[in-house]
Amino acid sequence: MRLLRETAAIAAKDLRIEARGRYAIAAVLPFAATMLVVFGLALGPGRELLRQTAPGLLWLAVLFASVLSFRQAYETEAEDGALEGLVLAPVDRAAIFLGKGLAVAAGLLVLEAVTILLVAVLFDLALAGRPLVVGAAFVLGTVGLAAVGSLFGAISQSPRARESVVPLLILPLAVPVLLAGIRATAEAGAGGEVASWLGLLVAFDAIFVVLGMLVFGHLLED
Amino acid sequence: MRTLGKLTARPGERILGWAALAALAASAVLSLAVAPPDAEQGNVQRLMYVHVPAAWLAYLAFAVVFVASIAYLRTKRTRWDRLAAASAEVGVLFTALTIVLGSLWGKPVWGTWWTWDPRLTTTAVLLLIYVGYLAIRRLPESPARRARWAAVVGIVGFVDVPIVHLSVVWWRSLHQEPTVLRLGGPTLAPVMLTALLVGVAAFTVAYAYLVTLRLRAGRMEERATREALAPEPAERGRVAEEARG
Amino acid sequence: MDNLGFVAAGYTLTGVSLLGYVAWLHARIRRARERAAERESWE
Repeated sequence: MRLLRETAAIAAKDLRIEARGRYAIAAVLPFAATMLVVFGLALGPGRELLRQTAPGLLWLAVLFASVLSFRQAYETEAEDGALEGLVLAPVDRAAIFLGKGLAVAAGLLVLEAVTILLVAVLFDLALAGRPLVVGAAFVLGTVGLAAVGSLFGAISQSPRARESVVPLLILPLAVPVLLAGIRATAEAGAGGEVASWLGLLVAFDAIFVVLGMLVFGHLLED
Repeated sequence: MRTLGKLTARPGERILGWAALAALAASAVLSLAVAPPDAEQGNVQRLMYVHVPAAWLAYLAFAVVFVASIAYLRTKRTRWDRLAAASAEVGVLFTALTIVLGSLWGKPVWGTWWTWDPRLTTTAVLLLIYVGYLAIRRLPESPARRARWAAVVGIVGFVDVPIVHLSVVWWRSLHQEPTVLRLGGPTLAPVMLTALLVGVAAFTVAYAYLVTLRLRAGRMEERATREALAPEPAERGRVAEEARG
Repeated sequence: MDNLGFVAAGYTLTGVSLLGYVAWLHARIRRARERAAERESWE
């Protein structure tokens, strides 16, 4: 299908740019790590509190990292006017939305793997219980964050918006992902019920990916 | 030649304004004097008659934003964008009011200003989303772009709210804390229900008036900006002469 | 009862915020009209 091909092409292009520029590794990952250390300092040194808040802090770091990543994903193109080129090309707008979302999601998944390890060490997070559940929560959550981020990242074309409005928008809209992700991660460690939270993530993802595909084009028009 | 009608309020707007005032006054009388105090909460429960209508009208306002946003993206007619802008501003006002009133209600009943009650928490998230909507409208971009971006937020935000509400309700239920704002027991006494409905009606009229007034303000400001950018008459003549060569 | 203070505060706040918003909108209209009239008076 043409949409899939275009999506893959755009995702591949973004991933190639990332591989060369290594922005995610050079800036976003250290940022997430710094956040976690600072969280630990702010809330610690009591081990019990840190262990309890670990899932929340983990997901907060992921959320902020995703905002940063999408800002960068659109900013470099907007600066060079490459985004206009992309818009003028006979590419389905939805493919841009999906492709960029996919590229950033891939980067986020790598970041999450590292961050989970970091949190497990720093905050004594119990994960050994159900790794598949935790994995599912993060994959589904990443898709949801990518949908919201890729959609509103397009507003990063406006320099003023980039600084404050985009994070202001993404955070409240991503609340369901945040809550469901944190709860699923915490319950997985504690042996609780996770099905409803994972279900919520699936529903959020479905709704926002479809919605994003429908409205994204309007954000690119001049 | 400007028609006078655009400069002054149309008669309908004035009538709406006085009707809103009368309705709100009537509602206040019913809520404060006629309705009995609650069996459990006493007089503090009277805050329900302002808090609940404010909440419902906030949701209505954003539903209007949702529909207007879709209509604008479909038809590209500015009237829908203007309606969305007006309804969003009024909606944010009602949302902020809802939260403060909820807080005022919660403090004497539960001893704290904020209890992460599911409905209040969702309302807080709602406020943040539409404050973001208003921020988009102030970006230094072309009016058409601002309108389009705002419309997307108006649509996506509204779709997100039920999901947010569901997630917050589930999140909250983990701790079995009862919700602050039980509407006066399992069922409302008829007098109380009447007072509540009158309150909702009064707030609805107020909403209609505020949106109408806000629409007029928007039109006036648009016109003033247009005039400021138009060339002066003397220059218009000169430019035309130069163009003629 | 002490709690009446909360009720009074709530209702007062409601009235003040609604009236205040109306007043602000009227001010915006007046200012816009003045700006437009200023232009007109040059013609």
